[in-house]
Amino acid sequence: MIQLIAKRLAAAAVIVLALTAVMFFLQKISPVDPVHAMLGPSASPAAIVAEQKRLGLDRPFLAQYGSYLNGLLHGNLGMSYRTRRPVSTDLGSFLPATAELSVYALIFALILAVILALGSTLRWPGSSVFRLLLIAGASAPAFLLGIVGILIFYSKLGWLPATGRTSVLNPPTGPTGFLTIDGLLHGEPSVTFDAFRHLLMPALAVAAIPAVSIGRVLRSSLIGQMRADYVRTARAKGLTERQVVLGHVLRNSVNAALSMTGLQVGLMFSGVVVIEEIFGWPGIGQYMAQSIPAADFPAISGVTLLLGAGYVAVNTIVDILQAIADPRINA
Amino acid sequence: MAVAEPYIAPATPPARRGRPAILRAHGRLDVAAASLLVLVTLIALLAPVLAPHNPIQPVGLPMQSPGSGGFLLGTDSIGRDILSRVLFGWRSSWFAALAVIASGLLIGGLIGLVAGTLGGVADTVLMRITDGFLALPAPVVAIAVVAALGGGFVHTLIAVAVVWWPFYARIVRGEIRLLAARPHVEAARLAGAGRLRIAVRHLLPGAVPAAVITASLDVGNLVLTLAALSFLGLGQPQPAPELGADTAHNLTYLLQQWWIPVMPGIAVMVLALAANIAGDGVRNLLGDR
Amino acid sequence: MTTLDTAASQPDTMEAVARVENLSITFRRGALNIQAVRGVSLEVRRGEILGLVGESGSGKSVLGMSLLGLLPGEPAPVTSGAVTVCGKDMLNGSAGLRRAVRRQHLGAVFQDPMTSLNPTMRVGRQVIEAAGSEDEAVRLLRAVGIPDATRRMASFPHELSGGLRQRVMIAMAIAGRPALVIADEPTTALDVMVQAQVLALLRSLRDEIGCSFLMITHDLGVAAQIADRIAVLYAGRIAELGPTATVLHAAAHPYSAALTRSRLSLSSERGRPLVTLPGEVPDPAGPPPGCPFEPRCALARDECSVTMPEPVEVAPGHLSACILPPGEVAAAFAPAPPASRITTLDEAAADVPAAPAGRPASAAAAEPAVAARVQDVAKTFRVKSGRRRVGLQALRGVSLQVAEGESVAIVGESGSGKSTMLRVIAGLERADRGGITLGRGAGPQMVFQDAGASLTPWLTVGALIGERLRHAHLGAAQRGERVEEALAHVGLPAHVARARATQLSGGQRQRVALARATVVPPEVLLCDEPTSALDVSLAAVVLNLVARLRRELGMAVLFVTHDLSVARVVADRIAVMYLGRIVELGPAEQVVASPQHPYTKALVRAVPDLGVTPAALPGEPASPLDPPPGCAFNPRCPVAEPACADPDFLPRLIKLRGEQDRTVACIRAEVN
Repeated sequence: MIQLIAKRLAAAAVIVLALTAVMFFLQKISPVDPVHAMLGPSASPAAIVAEQKRLGLDRPFLAQYGSYLNGLLHGNLGMSYRTRRPVSTDLGSFLPATAELSVYALIFALILAVILALGSTLRWPGSSVFRLLLIAGASAPAFLLGIVGILIFYSKLGWLPATGRTSVLNPPTGPTGFLTIDGLLHGEPSVTFDAFRHLLMPALAVAAIPAVSIGRVLRSSLIGQMRADYVRTARAKGLTERQVVLGHVLRNSVNAALSMTGLQVGLMFSGVVVIEEIFGWPGIGQYMAQSIPAADFPAISGVTLLLGAGYVAVNTIVDILQAIADPRINA
Repeated sequence: MAVAEPYIAPATPPARRGRPAILRAHGRLDVAAASLLVLVTLIALLAPVLAPHNPIQPVGLPMQSPGSGGFLLGTDSIGRDILSRVLFGWRSSWFAALAVIASGLLIGGLIGLVAGTLGGVADTVLMRITDGFLALPAPVVAIAVVAALGGGFVHTLIAVAVVWWPFYARIVRGEIRLLAARPHVEAARLAGAGRLRIAVRHLLPGAVPAAVITASLDVGNLVLTLAALSFLGLGQPQPAPELGADTAHNLTYLLQQWWIPVMPGIAVMVLALAANIAGDGVRNLLGDR
Repeated sequence: MTTLDTAASQPDTMEAVARVENLSITFRRGALNIQAVRGVSLEVRRGEILGLVGESGSGKSVLGMSLLGLLPGEPAPVTSGAVTVCGKDMLNGSAGLRRAVRRQHLGAVFQDPMTSLNPTMRVGRQVIEAAGSEDEAVRLLRAVGIPDATRRMASFPHELSGGLRQRVMIAMAIAGRPALVIADEPTTALDVMVQAQVLALLRSLRDEIGCSFLMITHDLGVAAQIADRIAVLYAGRIAELGPTATVLHAAAHPYSAALTRSRLSLSSERGRPLVTLPGEVPDPAGPPPGCPFEPRCALARDECSVTMPEPVEVAPGHLSACILPPGEVAAAFAPAPPASRITTLDEAAADVPAAPAGRPASAAAAEPAVAARVQDVAKTFRVKSGRRRVGLQALRGVSLQVAEGESVAIVGESGSGKSTMLRVIAGLERADRGGITLGRGAGPQMVFQDAGASLTPWLTVGALIGERLRHAHLGAAQRGERVEEALAHVGLPAHVARARATQLSGGQRQRVALARATVVPPEVLLCDEPTSALDVSLAAVVLNLVARLRRELGMAVLFVTHDLSVARVVADRIAVMYLGRIVELGPAEQVVASPQHPYTKALVRAVPDLGVTPAALPGEPASPLDPPPGCAFNPRCPVAEPACADPDFLPRLIKLRGEQDRTVACIRAEVN
């Protein structure tokens, strides 16, 4: 198992390294000249040359990549054209909001997926209606879910807030950066409750599509496994359907669903970018959304690297969980 | 070794063999679902005929609610007909999705076929590259690619196509490897078939159903992803009718004239829903497993 | 219809634990109604082993599932009649009731122990689920003969051998001392030695626990081993039911008689075509109105196709569903003039298909030309075992010559390397060491075990056969003619050329595979267990066909099989392989009649047969991942000497003194 984890971690490192190479390459082919972008159109030729030298743009390609990597290792992601601050500083301040939103969205997606799959496998009452609703919901673009949610739950019913992470003026900071957790840690449950109310709509809007995808895979995997020979054996022993499903079938079915979860996190991130923009969520998604019209490549590249690394991390965890679920997977 | 009867009484009874799925009773619903693909494509093709007005020009009073003034879906902030814009937006969304799928099938299928057929080092190298792409969050990387290329519709399509093929390469390669392990490939080898012949005649046709099923289930995803990119401003520039962008630009009217941002979103949803239902139908028709 | 109620004319002390009365089960598949079981009545008595014998499609497994109250199917099948176990209704009873009966009174063993165990759950926990406690689980595992049971509790199924996995299944089945155990082909997926062990275990369990068994099998030989009574099922109906000896030796129904006759055994006659059962099982979606066996029955009369005969008592406790008097059936199937158990090679005349007849007699004197020569071939595969990559030593130095027109059978258990040898000769695998020399004729062709899988599913039969003619520079019409010829040669009509493999039956597919292999006759035809997936009656047809093609086309045949009785009838010579080496090689008849190597002896004794109790060699087969040093058989050999395990001892094939053409790789032969 340790060997497997080491292998997966090494593979993850390689992938992240490849991503940095892609980002570097994209920066090079980008028609937006970083020097012009930084200095503006009225800069003097001498200033441009000096800036080019300062940025090391006169050096050979590989050497530039080397110093780019070196910079990344020291947390240097370049300067944002738009905010004129180091991208790393921007990301540092926006990351916790996105992390909290994503984690909740993933949790919601998994809960909905399990309800969806188990419901139709064990034939819970109402599961087919629930399923139809979710499938329709999963065909809606995240931005539609977001704005319809605002129309109904904010504008019409006034149940939930429509913008930001919290309406508390000075929310507690640290240690986790998750307001729902920090509120509890600082003994202010009202903050937690308020943050959760803010989270609910955006997180569900992000979660809908992954929930249905994961639920579908889990469901068809459950149905497939229910036909397996070992289920016949379990039934022949006189186990109840519940014991058969929970004791035997579920564990054999999770791997396909885990794979799909890993894949869906990638799609979820694009949902996060859109939803943060709609809900004014102060995260790296909104940061990216606002960087796009400004053609702020360092910012976009920074967010991409961060989300890419997060995606790789999630999938590494998925791989390890799969090996735990199925003893036949090894190394 | 396995002489015994199968546990479930013949799932493929002899008389059903060879009868095309389309003729079977339970297949009709799936056929209807799959034919949604044709219907959607027809609407997309005929959008210029179906659209009652010019989508770019103001044609009436601004901000008319749906149904009033003869505008079925209302008018937007400068008096353009939302229905016409939605129809044209449908058209570009749909064809963009089909184009990306087609390129994914083509590039991914080819790479998967080559890797799966050759095996060995070629397989390892090609699949490592593919896995590298798959290990990255495709839509996010697509955003970065467009940002680097500099916006625009064509660039967006290229960017999405670049991150979309690896999935197909994986699927096709996996199918080919499964097929390659079957004795029929060895039998063909002994019958004197060369590598190319085996690849094209004895392997590829077997991978087509899986690839087509994947593709048809994927159209909906792609419609949604392209709409999201359009929402972020990575589509055609204004004033072109674009479903995602039309929502994004009109968010300010959400609380007063809700239909202006919501209608394009609903159009995306209908498109994706049709694609998903059709995809399910195609899977049931071709999958047959 | 309740003929059986009166049939229980055995003393009434024979109480029934399970009773099936006039049971019909119909599955709905789209517009079709698949009639799996059609009016079956039988009972399983306390403490008896009832053998339920039938070919595929006979409904025997469905019947077993109905006793378990687990009829599969979505939508649920339409049923009528009654199924009771220990007095409880297993057909229409509530799910809870049926489950309680399964829990308290029933056990089940299924065919494939690999898929029948949960792959992600330790076997201990799986046994505990049935046994109730850990101590009881360990006790059960010991009772079924699993060595080191406490440690094995923590194993996952994939870490056990096939035999051990099936023992785990049996342990679960007998947990809680059930009244009845349903065993559905429990030994079919196992090697013959392990099969003998498992059958012996089942027998002893019945004696110890006193539970009844319903032994579902396609193999009369297996049923003969352990059943007290046998019920023969055909097309969802009982053909015959009676005491084992009666059904086997004095069958009253033409089907059971034919089944017994077409079964291959170590004493089957080699000198003539095998007895076959022509035709195929009727379509369960539209069985004939009369006797279902009528289309294949040699004794059928006009009325047989009109009325469906009910099973009637022909003797006390003996039922037969045939309108003919039992005496007539018995007379018609009376054994042909008593053949000696062993026919000599001389008796095999030149026109006899199954016997060696490939080359003209005049050539026999001269040294025959070689069709294939294998010299000291070794092959090791790299496989993953757990987390390590290890070498699987499939072939460890094999030499063999096949003369032109000769037929050689390679016999061995799984892991013996027999299939690898064939694949190396075919050129599908490259040998690590050693050489293959082939004759000058057309390159070798191969017939695979799973004929369906060896035919490309989306191509027509014509295209597949025609593929071998691509280099023959034929026009389309000529090519079509050659294809039709080849099809005709294997007994298929020309229109089959337009069909795809999925549209054909199992027997037809194997014929198509043969037609494809022989449309351009190869110098050597390689057969990889071509009959082991076929029903008895079909297997005989295919074996006859192989023999005829060999004779007519003058091919050599190299025939791989796990079944000594098949090897004996198809081959001139038999090579017995064990863990990558040939341990004995000689004329087929002599190898079977007087085996010399201890392994061959054990193999011969393990073959299940009518009226013979097979002896099982104890212990687990060694693994090709880690073959024992010296003679690989020494850990299981009853006559092993310390020198056998010497790592420097390399058993070589040595000529037996006084016998021509017989070689044995045993230290005892060397000493002599």
